[in-house]
Amino acid sequence: MPMKDRERLLHFYEDMLRIRFFEEKVRDVLYPQRLFRGSSHLAIGQEAVAVGAVHALAADDYVISTHRGHGHAIAKGMDLRRTFAEVMGRKTGCGRGKGGSMHLADASLNFIGENPVVGSNTPMAAGLALAAKLDGNGRVAAAFMGEGALNTGAFHEAANLAALWALPVLFLCENNLYAISVPLDKSSALQDLERRAEAYGIPGQRVNGMRVMEVYDAVSRAAQATREHSFPCFLVFDTYRFEGHHTSDKQTYRTEEEALEEFRRRDPIHILEFEMIDDHTVPIPRTIEYRDRIRAEVDAAFEAALEEPWPAPEAALTGVYAEGGE
Amino acid sequence: MAEGKLRNITYAQAIRTALREELKRDQRVLLFGEDVGYYGGVYGATVGLQKEFGEARVRDTPISEMAIAGVAVGAALAGYRPVAEIMYEDFLAHASDAIVNNAAKWRYMSGEQFTLPIVFRSPGGGGAGYAAQHSQSLEAWFTHIPGLKVVAPGLPRDARGLLKAAIRDDNPVVFLEHKAHYTYKGEVPVSEEVIPLGIAEVRRPGRDATVVSWSKTLTYALEAAEGLAREGIDAEVLDPRTLQPLDMAAILESVGKTGHLIVAHEAVGFGGFGAEIVAQVVERGLDMLKRPPVRVAAPFVPIPYSEPLETFVIPQVADIIAGVRRCVGAGP
Repeated sequence: MPMKDRERLLHFYEDMLRIRFFEEKVRDVLYPQRLFRGSSHLAIGQEAVAVGAVHALAADDYVISTHRGHGHAIAKGMDLRRTFAEVMGRKTGCGRGKGGSMHLADASLNFIGENPVVGSNTPMAAGLALAAKLDGNGRVAAAFMGEGALNTGAFHEAANLAALWALPVLFLCENNLYAISVPLDKSSALQDLERRAEAYGIPGQRVNGMRVMEVYDAVSRAAQATREHSFPCFLVFDTYRFEGHHTSDKQTYRTEEEALEEFRRRDPIHILEFEMIDDHTVPIPRTIEYRDRIRAEVDAAFEAALEEPWPAPEAALTGVYAEGGE
Repeated sequence: MAEGKLRNITYAQAIRTALREELKRDQRVLLFGEDVGYYGGVYGATVGLQKEFGEARVRDTPISEMAIAGVAVGAALAGYRPVAEIMYEDFLAHASDAIVNNAAKWRYMSGEQFTLPIVFRSPGGGGAGYAAQHSQSLEAWFTHIPGLKVVAPGLPRDARGLLKAAIRDDNPVVFLEHKAHYTYKGEVPVSEEVIPLGIAEVRRPGRDATVVSWSKTLTYALEAAEGLAREGIDAEVLDPRTLQPLDMAAILESVGKTGHLIVAHEAVGFGGFGAEIVAQVVERGLDMLKRPPVRVAAPFVPIPYSEPLETFVIPQVADIIAGVRRCVGAGP
């Protein structure tokens, strides 16, 4: 493997570990200790999609995400401490404690944010892409969504409009097989989800979402086409969420064995580690070093965020309106 | 203030003037919606704008209200100043996810990282025989949402001046026009005029009662005041123009002078915006009120089709006259 590719792969590996350990911290420490409010939607098992897709984009491309967006935010470069601080409602969080786990955003990274109203981010992506097209700045707008979002009217309207107006939008669908409790075969008349694209005259492609390089290659090609031709692309990634819909989900809709078996067979981080060890990108002891180092980084970010101040209660009353205008 | 040259134009022409001036002033102003481009809008409010400013900036959309409003949010987040037209206020129900959940909240949720300079234009109101799904007055839906501004002009001059201010504002503004009012004429300055949001205007000074009214009903309130003057009741007509932010100081000042408050609007009374005005006056100025306030509004029914039914439901000049009389205690 050429040096450049090897470095890239190791970089992806680090980011996937960063996301995994961040979310394990949410699951194993923040949740039992009640360090966040409401619920948090984990994407454990979907790291290869977040990392492969976001790294296939240019740094200034727009990304708009979903309720299950910790991974997208971290892959786009969001600071872990600021992210933990937001999830824990602290003043120094990216949203000053007003958004929480479902509303992470970082304008400086063009990470427009998470939109936890399913499907609602897809017209926004078309708007971001319209701006990019009018500005002629070559940016694309990437909208992540789960397979559940494909059944919303908003997605239908956005996909049609993006094709009609030839907008540089990447519709990135993570098919994790469940919309909260409802499995794909009970939510979509069509099971070959990539074929939905045909209805809009958009290229559609199905991609193995558990192999980060396959995701990266597919999104790289799609992003290039979208950028060059100013036209949307639709990609469906086969993946699986190993955790519940959110941290309090009792998961009565599937057996524990199913999730465990999927994890054993399809964990994208294990798959990547086996591949890297197999082709001598990295020897086994080095993977342990990587894991220890990234875990320490996540632990340090969490510990630092724990010390961050709470917002003053009256801060709830500010920031509703922007002052002035033109 | 020294008045410059005025011209007599319609409410629709006033809207078009504002759009044209702002499209010309700022390349980042965009206009899109159903039939707004080639056709010029179903009420003619955007005639000629696509021809003048091109298809890139003045766009026809498919019948996709969710996309129209959502695209506006996305384009604003990327630095544009979109004006999105939703053809009927009733169809704001489709668009309201983008307006209410996204536009109104993105700044707050993100810790003020973003600004959302968007205008959602939409004609509401009845009187044209369009029945229950094309005639509603839904301002109270949107005044209830923190993060939105809401404007409801009654006169052509305000339609032009307030729309310009709304486009220049850095916040999402729901700009509610009245479909049965597009041909209503009034004096509008030839020179540029931007009317700031949040400032009420006394349309007719009076000593005996304060009638607060906006949109098309404002013109009924003015007519009612003339009628009342003939029977010796001197009504002051106050036009808030902007419902959010609301110029409560002006309303309290007027009520302080007259001691009587009547709010007249076309929307359903129950839970309507008049209730908010009455509540605030009661909370902040109960001792100024000589008699209980009166709301003149539609009964709790959908807008019916047939003319006698619709006219019965929508507050008319006579209803406002009766409301003022009731408030000041001058007979039936």
